[in-house]
Amino acid sequence: MSTDTEVQPSNYHHQKPPFYRDATVVKWLFQVGALALVVFALWFLSSQARDNLSARNISTGFDFLSIDPGINLSEGIDTRPATGGRALWVGMVNTIRLATAGIFFATVIGLFIGLARLSNNWVVNKLGSVFVETLRNIPLLVQILLYGAILANLGDLQFDSGWDNWVIWSNKGLSVPRVFIADGFYQWAVFMCIGALAARWMYNQRSGLHDKTGENTHPGLGSFAVLTIFGIVGWFIHPIFGWVGNIFGAISDGISKVPEEVLQLVLSAVAISIAANWIRGFLASRRTPGGSARLTDDDKFRIIFAGVGSVLAILVVFVVWPGLSSWIINSSSDLFEVLENKFGDGRTGGPFGVDRPEVVKPGKFEKYGPSGLTMSLGFAAVFFGIVLYTAAFIAEIVRGGILAVPKGQIEAANSLGMKRSTALRTVILPQALRVIMPPLGNQYLNLTKNTSLAIAVGFSDLVQVGQTVGNQTGKNLSVFAIWMLFYLACSLTISVAVNFFNVRLRIVER
Amino acid sequence: MSETTIVETGKRPEVASSSPGEWIRKNLFSNIPNTILTIVFGVFALYAIRGLLGFILSGERRWEAVATNMRLLMAQGYPANQFVRVWVALGCLMVLTGLSLAIWNAKGQLPIKKISNWTMNIGFGLMLFAVLAPISPSSRLGWVIAGVLFLTFGFGLWMSTKNNQNRTLDSIPTVWFSFGFLGTLVLSLWIVPFGHYAFTNGELVAETGRTVAMSTKLPFTVMWVLLVCSYCVIIRVRDYLPTGQAKALLVGLWFLSPFVLNWIVLRDPDFDYGHVISTDVPVAALFIFAGGGILYLLTKPSLGELGRLTAIALLIFGVFNWVAAFFGWYPMLQKVRISFVLLALAALIAPNFAADRRTRLKFVTGWGVLIVISHWLITAVNSPSTLELQGPTYLGGFSLTLFVAVLTLLLSFPLGVLLALGRTSSMPIARVLCTGYIESIRGVPLITILFFFSNILPLFLPQGMEIAELAAIVTGYTLFSAAYLAENVRGGLQSVMRGQYEAADAIGLTTSQRTGFIVLPQALRVSIPPLVGQAIGVFKETSLVAIIGAYDILRIANNVVPAQTEFLGVKREGLLLVSVIYFIVAFSMSKYSQRLEERVGLGER
Amino acid sequence: MSTETTNENRSDMIVCENVDKWFGDFQALKGVSATIAEQEVVVVLGPSGSGKSTWIRCINRLEAHQQGTIIVDGVELTNDLRNIEKIRSEVGMVFQQFNLFPHISVLDNVTLAPKWVRKMPKAAAEKKAEELLEMVGIPEQAAKYPGQLSGGQQQRVAIARALAMEPRIMLFDEPTSALDPEMIKEVLDVMKDLAHGGMTMMVVTHEMGFAREVADRIIFMESGEIVESGTPEHFFTNPTEDRTKLFLSQIL
Repeated sequence: MSTDTEVQPSNYHHQKPPFYRDATVVKWLFQVGALALVVFALWFLSSQARDNLSARNISTGFDFLSIDPGINLSEGIDTRPATGGRALWVGMVNTIRLATAGIFFATVIGLFIGLARLSNNWVVNKLGSVFVETLRNIPLLVQILLYGAILANLGDLQFDSGWDNWVIWSNKGLSVPRVFIADGFYQWAVFMCIGALAARWMYNQRSGLHDKTGENTHPGLGSFAVLTIFGIVGWFIHPIFGWVGNIFGAISDGISKVPEEVLQLVLSAVAISIAANWIRGFLASRRTPGGSARLTDDDKFRIIFAGVGSVLAILVVFVVWPGLSSWIINSSSDLFEVLENKFGDGRTGGPFGVDRPEVVKPGKFEKYGPSGLTMSLGFAAVFFGIVLYTAAFIAEIVRGGILAVPKGQIEAANSLGMKRSTALRTVILPQALRVIMPPLGNQYLNLTKNTSLAIAVGFSDLVQVGQTVGNQTGKNLSVFAIWMLFYLACSLTISVAVNFFNVRLRIVER
Repeated sequence: MSETTIVETGKRPEVASSSPGEWIRKNLFSNIPNTILTIVFGVFALYAIRGLLGFILSGERRWEAVATNMRLLMAQGYPANQFVRVWVALGCLMVLTGLSLAIWNAKGQLPIKKISNWTMNIGFGLMLFAVLAPISPSSRLGWVIAGVLFLTFGFGLWMSTKNNQNRTLDSIPTVWFSFGFLGTLVLSLWIVPFGHYAFTNGELVAETGRTVAMSTKLPFTVMWVLLVCSYCVIIRVRDYLPTGQAKALLVGLWFLSPFVLNWIVLRDPDFDYGHVISTDVPVAALFIFAGGGILYLLTKPSLGELGRLTAIALLIFGVFNWVAAFFGWYPMLQKVRISFVLLALAALIAPNFAADRRTRLKFVTGWGVLIVISHWLITAVNSPSTLELQGPTYLGGFSLTLFVAVLTLLLSFPLGVLLALGRTSSMPIARVLCTGYIESIRGVPLITILFFFSNILPLFLPQGMEIAELAAIVTGYTLFSAAYLAENVRGGLQSVMRGQYEAADAIGLTTSQRTGFIVLPQALRVSIPPLVGQAIGVFKETSLVAIIGAYDILRIANNVVPAQTEFLGVKREGLLLVSVIYFIVAFSMSKYSQRLEERVGLGER
Repeated sequence: MSTETTNENRSDMIVCENVDKWFGDFQALKGVSATIAEQEVVVVLGPSGSGKSTWIRCINRLEAHQQGTIIVDGVELTNDLRNIEKIRSEVGMVFQQFNLFPHISVLDNVTLAPKWVRKMPKAAAEKKAEELLEMVGIPEQAAKYPGQLSGGQQQRVAIARALAMEPRIMLFDEPTSALDPEMIKEVLDVMKDLAHGGMTMMVVTHEMGFAREVADRIIFMESGEIVESGTPEHFFTNPTEDRTKLFLSQIL
């Protein structure tokens, strides 16, 4: 490094050390070596896999997505057309359904149990402890199988199973009333968006008045009333928003007309500009008021890597995967087309509908047609398993979060003369939530990953479908890639959502 | 029954507190809402307990399915005539435990008061059981009498601590209490006949007159005697022993025991002694002496960079041997390849041991021991087993669960530490690689990883190389749990103060010395509680191997037992037993971790 | 900007020429040049944030300087691993927060570096450590852990730990700032003994009494520059620069 300075000590000669003693060079050589080893290992393994697969006459690739794998899914959305892709899609929808329902119920139950464990009442407190300690110390898989076994020993499905068309239980599964999104929902949703804006305006108005006069103007109540009015009015006159669909149609057409090359160029420009931006920012951070910033060898290596990265990205866009841009164009065009259809003509019914469970024929639930929300045996077993198991962990998180609020905070709120509910809302909850949110997000991630245990009770989630499809077509490797992408996407979605909430909380706190 | 005791553990402090009436008023009926809560949830709890007891004791339950298959659940198809090996392995562990308790001088004391509380709780539990359980009046009376006996005994103990002011005994050593407790359990085997079973022609057939207790009571008694005797002997002579060295030896034995005992139980290699003498011994000797000589030279203090360069050259040669093996360029014993890599790694850390002659000789001796152990293990793996197998899988049941869990924990620990170090290092590429690995592994469910390793991994291996199913499972599970472990260790690493790094740098430690002597010891101490939590998680999730077809305890309870002609479809009983077993292990581990956490917290203050 | 060498017969231990150091946009050292002779005791004064600590941390390369030259005992500080190792074992450093290793005993703290860096036999290292602990006045605490000692005792152990490497230069980075008032003296006494024993020392401190009594030379820094440098009498009684006068008026 620092070699040429103006003032040279008289009796000392600068020497660049030999490369194997230069700290920076050694550091980067080591890293490049490690990277090369990893790349070599991956290359070696994949070449072995290619040889092995061709020796067994199995081709890799994703063509099975459009071929009928010859499997029969008993559960989930419509399985037509009978292709591998559709089957996996059904599995994904099932997983997402299971995960969202699980997250909702686990949070609610966990919250209650967590509060129960904080109760002064000895019986309530102990019941909470027993719930938590029992459920979280038994493996989830064992629980799922146990619930499955218990449910399988319920009686056969009869006309009089359960409670009078409200809840039906049998060894074929459970059924409860279901609320579903009907024709007019999307137009009504537009109404509700406008309503939310109006409610927000109302809230600001009322709380502004409260600040000015000090009177209690009930801003929350006022905005809720506005929202309700919009909801009720929208229920009846929502069809007037049918024209919104045309906008989405126009966008869809516009996107489909973009030529492939343009998108490729745009993507490469983005890659280059990201790299250039990073390098510029990096140089800026090294710039000094004194002018010339000397780059250490370390910095030079970093810049080289950024440049190489952008070139690699461009290579991917143009050479390695030329279909990428047309895929992006087609799928985003399709997305807007779907949105257009949601607003299409003839969607004049109410926004929601309700179906009650019904036994049409003893022995088996009807698969399609108007009926309640039917949970198959497998779904019910996994659902109870993940809900109860995760609830036990969430209860501990809630309890820990509330205990983490210092006692002084509550005393301070009391000494200010706040009501208990006000203190809870304005002082304790915001602080507890800050502690609760990160581990809670982790539990949501765990729950989503744990839905994969559905395979043990034969519920058709992504893993179960993928395993079957893989065995039928021999494309286990491709299926594994789809699994990874799907679960990574789920993890990313949840952590982005949790992070967003966390950032909000931090601002609220200040 | 054990399910109920879990529920029962809650019902306690009425007697423990000084004034029961006041306690009840304060905690149950302080105001009207509280009273309502107490009544509603109290009734609910009683109903729940009654329902559970009703389920367990119902005449329709076929608990004999579990009792009959106990050996299947614990060890699956392990040959009956070879069981002595299991007992030998268990005996070794017992002796080790006894020795360790004595050498570390376990000083825990159990207050009599606590024991009396426990006794009274058991008494209350029995009374509650007698009241709620759907049993005949005569047996109800029996349970009531038992409950009263326990209550009286506990109350007597309690009074003795309370009134007798000049008493000498207010607590007893935990060790002796545990010995007594285990002794009682063993004694019960001599009195109660637990279950009956038989294994003939590869089929499991229930057989009357032969009980589990019959075949296990003697071995279990021997185990107990071994434990107590080894403790007593060492505690007598403890003062004359060099405790520091004894501790080091015991730690080494504990680390070695999972591997060695597994071989005793599973393989017991049938050595071809001609080959051993003609090839194995000379190769090992060559590495011990030639390798030791090289290491002795490399630990010379005045060596400088030459040592490092030699080590890197050795490492490159060692890695190249593997590349050559994959491409089949030149033949070489696998053992030699492994030894070269070991030698290179030893050479890499050798400069840290450069010192006077004694230290250098110690390092070389350590190398010799490493070679002896690793060569023995490698030879043992490659030798045929003396075990006569019945059926394709001989390891199964609960022992498979333990095997996979222990091995995974042991193997994933070093890997996790390395990943954590990589993720927190200042080297960008290493950081990106480690972070990418950790995050992508943490993003996917364990079951997909296990599928990958059992279905897809064979595709990636060079032709002619095979991997046993169990090895594939352990490999996949290790790689998975290492990512989670790394995150726990990273938490600990982040808690080490910046100043510690600076101080280590300032006194001239190298990076590896700084990591080994200063950073890791502090980081690991902080991460012990989350690591124990992680260990519990690994233990629980071992159950997933059932999905990919390994015969662990869960698969046997869920698939094998219900398929037997006599117990067709009897699933819930087995699954309940599995739940209870998992619960007992996981619950005691988590209690232990809570105590550790308190202790770590105390240390910080 | 004057770097006058008062002791002409001794060789130079530390030579800094135009040392620059940036943290991002912030320039912590601006062309710092100074020469410190063997057995010289230099006290560096200055308001907080003036770059004193950064400077002495550059001297044993806890921080890497970006421009200029630092030569310690004839060895230039560059990226050369061997030079870094060499300098670290020749320069002892004492920190504001002691930075003792909390997980090992006091004796192990002191013997760790001699054993593993100097390759001393264990017995010799322990003998040496006992002597050093005797010297800093706490021989009876050898078996204890750092957490069981008072702040002053910990800092004295830290000094013993640094001395165990037999350094030719000792750097002190505000050694008494984290101490309770009653413990400051015991640490300063040890430092005085060291100075009288002929150790080359660079001390960043706010203890004016110590500076006046022990220092051969005082260097005053502000915003990354050396403002003034001279003997204690000159510095305290007759400073030339206005910024020095302002600083002295604020603290005295």
